[in-house]
Amino acid sequence: MKELINWLAEPIRSFPIFTILFILMLKYYKVIGTKKFGWGALIASIPVVAWFAADPNFIKIILWPDNIPINILIVLVSFFTWLTLYKCAENDNRLEAGEVPVEAMPENREKVWSWPNLVYTELFAIIACTVFLIAWAIIFKAPLEEPANPTWAPNPAKAPWYFLGLQEMLVYFDPWMAGVVLPGLIVVGLIAIPYIDTNPKGNGYYTFSERKMAISSFLFGWLVLWVYLIIVGTFLRGPNWTFYGPFEFWDFHKVEAMYNINLSEYIWIKMLNTPMPGNLVMREIFGIILTIFYVGALPVMIARTNFGQKLIEKSGQIRFYIFIFLALGMTSLPIKMVLRWLIDLKYIIALPEWELNL
Amino acid sequence: MAGKGLVQKVRDTQVWKSIFRHGPPDNARNRAAVVAGNVFLHLHPIKLKKSGVQLGYTWCMGGLTFFIFLALTVTGVLLMFYYRPTAEYAYNDIIALKEHVPLGIMREIHRWGAHAMVITVWLHMFRVFMTGSYKPPREFNWGVGVILLVLTLLLSFTGYLLPWDQLAIWAITVGSNMAKATPFMGHGGPGAMLAQIGDFVMVSDKNDVRFQLLAGRFVGEPALLRFYILHCVFIPCVVGVLIAIHFWRVRKDGGISAPL
Amino acid sequence: MSTETRQQLNRREFLSFLSVGWITFTAACAGLGSMAFRFSYPNVNFEPEMEFLAGKPEDYEEGVDERWKNGFGVWMVKQEGKLVALSNICTHLGCIPSWLPAELKFKCPCHGSGYYPSGINFEGPAPRPLERYAISLTPEGLIKVDKTKIFRHEKGQWELASSFLEV
Repeated sequence: MKELINWLAEPIRSFPIFTILFILMLKYYKVIGTKKFGWGALIASIPVVAWFAADPNFIKIILWPDNIPINILIVLVSFFTWLTLYKCAENDNRLEAGEVPVEAMPENREKVWSWPNLVYTELFAIIACTVFLIAWAIIFKAPLEEPANPTWAPNPAKAPWYFLGLQEMLVYFDPWMAGVVLPGLIVVGLIAIPYIDTNPKGNGYYTFSERKMAISSFLFGWLVLWVYLIIVGTFLRGPNWTFYGPFEFWDFHKVEAMYNINLSEYIWIKMLNTPMPGNLVMREIFGIILTIFYVGALPVMIARTNFGQKLIEKSGQIRFYIFIFLALGMTSLPIKMVLRWLIDLKYIIALPEWELNL
Repeated sequence: MAGKGLVQKVRDTQVWKSIFRHGPPDNARNRAAVVAGNVFLHLHPIKLKKSGVQLGYTWCMGGLTFFIFLALTVTGVLLMFYYRPTAEYAYNDIIALKEHVPLGIMREIHRWGAHAMVITVWLHMFRVFMTGSYKPPREFNWGVGVILLVLTLLLSFTGYLLPWDQLAIWAITVGSNMAKATPFMGHGGPGAMLAQIGDFVMVSDKNDVRFQLLAGRFVGEPALLRFYILHCVFIPCVVGVLIAIHFWRVRKDGGISAPL
Repeated sequence: MSTETRQQLNRREFLSFLSVGWITFTAACAGLGSMAFRFSYPNVNFEPEMEFLAGKPEDYEEGVDERWKNGFGVWMVKQEGKLVALSNICTHLGCIPSWLPAELKFKCPCHGSGYYPSGINFEGPAPRPLERYAISLTPEGLIKVDKTKIFRHEKGQWELASSFLEV
C-alpha cells in the first residue's frame, strides 16, 4: 500500500491525478459544496492522516519546523476551497430558483454599526491569531543550521517554501524562464485580471455558474500550478532534488538517471539520421518554428474558432489577445512537464551559446 | 454617590473626558462618534452592509494580514536591538537571541509570523477573487494588492538571509542566481551576449542586476547588509505607503464588496 | 494690440516654455534617479583573490583533485594528458556540486544536475558544461590559475591554449 502511494506520488502520475481531481471538483462542486460532504471528508481524512503520520519517514518531513507553514497552508486551503464551493453552490441554487444570492438578501444588505459588529470580530480574530502564533512559537523552534559556508552547499538546498513552486518549475525550465519570465507573467497576469474579465456578474457574491471560465482558470493556476507544486517541492523532493515518495527514506545515494534530450537532437540525429548542422539557427530551426507557432500563430487560430469569436465579441480584440497570451504562458508549464515525462525532452530550443534555452 | 458606579466616576473625570470625547458606545450617536473620532478606528466606515462583517464572506484574511504586519514590525524592531548584520556577528547574535535574551521566542514569533503573513495574504487574494471583488470599481485596488503580495514575499525572502546559516545563504544563492538569468539585464540571461562590443562586455557579473542586489558577485557580507536594509527599512516603508493607499481605496471604492 | 496683452505670453510661447520646463524637470528627476541607481554599485569590493598558485603539475594524480575546492572554488582535473582548472559553480543556479568518486560524476544538490569529470553536463537541468579557468605555468614551474578568465565549452573555447595544461 505504501509502495503504491509512493509510486502514485511521483509528479508524472500525481500531476494528472491532481488535475483530474480538480476537474471533478469543479464539475461536481454542488455535491462537494454541502455540509454533509464537508463533514464526511473531515471524518474520513482523520484515520488517513493518522495512518500517514504513523510512518516515521513521513512524520519527519511533516514536522520539520520550516515545513509547518505548508501543513497549515494545506489545511487552510482545503477548508477555504470547500467553503467557497459551499458558498458558490448555495448561491447558484438560489440563482437557478430565480432568487437573489445570499449576500443580496434584504437582511444582509441592511447596514449595521461598525461598533460593535465589526470591531469586535476583528478583536477576536486578532486575539485568536496572537494565541495561535505564540503557541506555534513555543512548540516549534525556528530552525538554525550551521554557520554560512560559501564553499559547501547543503543537500538538498531549498528556497523558502513559498518559492518552492518556482524551484520545482526549474526542473522543467531554464532559470530565465522559471525565475524571471514566468513569475513576471504571474504578476502581470494577476494585475491584468480585472481589465480582461469584463463579465459584470458575480461582483460581491460567491457564484460559480455565472463566471465559470474566470474561476476555473484562476483556480487551476492557484491550486494545481502553485499549491500542488509547492507541496511537491517541499515534501517530495529530497537530496539532489530527486523525487522521494512520502514514505520513502531520504537516502543520499538514491541515483536517478535523468538523461534528457533536446528537440534538435531528436529530429536531426534520431529522425533524419544526419549530424547536427553547424549553424545555430539551422540547428534549432524546428524548435524556433514551434515556439513562433505557439506564441504567434496559435492565438490567431484560437481567435478563428467559435470559442474565440465569442470571447472577442464579448471583450474585444486587445483583451482577447492579452488573455490568450497569458493563458498560453500558464499552459506552457504543464506542456513542458508532459513533454519531459513522455519523451525526456530537455529543451525545445537549446541555444546555450546565447543562454537562450526554452 | 448613590447609583453612580466607579466606572461612571472615571468617565466623569477631566482626564477621561479629554481623551474620549463621547459617552459609552451604546447608542447610535456615540457608536458613530467612537469610530469617526478615533484615528485607528476611523479606517472603518461608521456603518456597513451586514454581508461585509460576516466571517463566512470576508474570512478576515485581509485584516489578519495587516495585523500580522504590525506584529512583525514590533517583533522585528525588538530583534534589531540584538542583531548586527555582519558576517562576524550575525550568526552568533541569532544564537544569543535564543539563549541570552529573556523570552527566547521572539525570533520564533517573527519567523512564524512571516510565514503566516504569506499564507493570509494568499488566502485574502483567493477570497477577493472568489467574490469577484476585483471587478469595477475596484480594479486599481486589486493591482495595488498584487504588488503588496509580491512585496510580502520579498520581505520574507530578504529576511531569510539574516540568520546567516547554511539554510539562509544557499536559499538566497539559488534565488539571486535567478536574477543573473534576467533577459538583457543579467550576465547569464538571454540577450546579454548581444551587448558585447569586441572584447568589451557590457553586461558582466560586475554590473548586472544580481550585482546590484548582492553588492558583489556572490552572497557575502555586503549582501547581508543590503538585505538587512531592504528588509528592515526600504521594503517596509514601501509596504506602509501601499497599505495606506490600499485601505484608502477600499473605502473610496465603496467599502467591502457586496452585490451591486 | 495693447501693451498689456503683449506683455503676457501668447499661447505658443507659453506651451514651449512649459514643455521646456517639464522636460528639464523630467531630466533632472531621471538624473537623480540614475545617480541613486549608480550609487548601489560599489567601485571596490573585498572578495577573495581571483588568482592563485596551485603547486606543481607533478602534484596531481589522474582524476579529480579537490584540494583547492574550499579555498578557491576550483577542481583540478587531470585527464588524457591535460590538466584543467574546473569551476565548481553549477551552470544552472550557482550551487556547489559535490564530487561523487564512486559514481565518477559531479552532482549538484540543488536541482540534480550531473557532470562528467570533464565538466560536460549529462543529466538534470544544467544548460551547459562547467566553466574552465585560465591555467598556465609560471617561470618557476608552478601552476597559476586565473579565475578572471573563463573558457566555455559550448563556445569552442576549450580548444584555446590557456584553457588547459599539457602534462
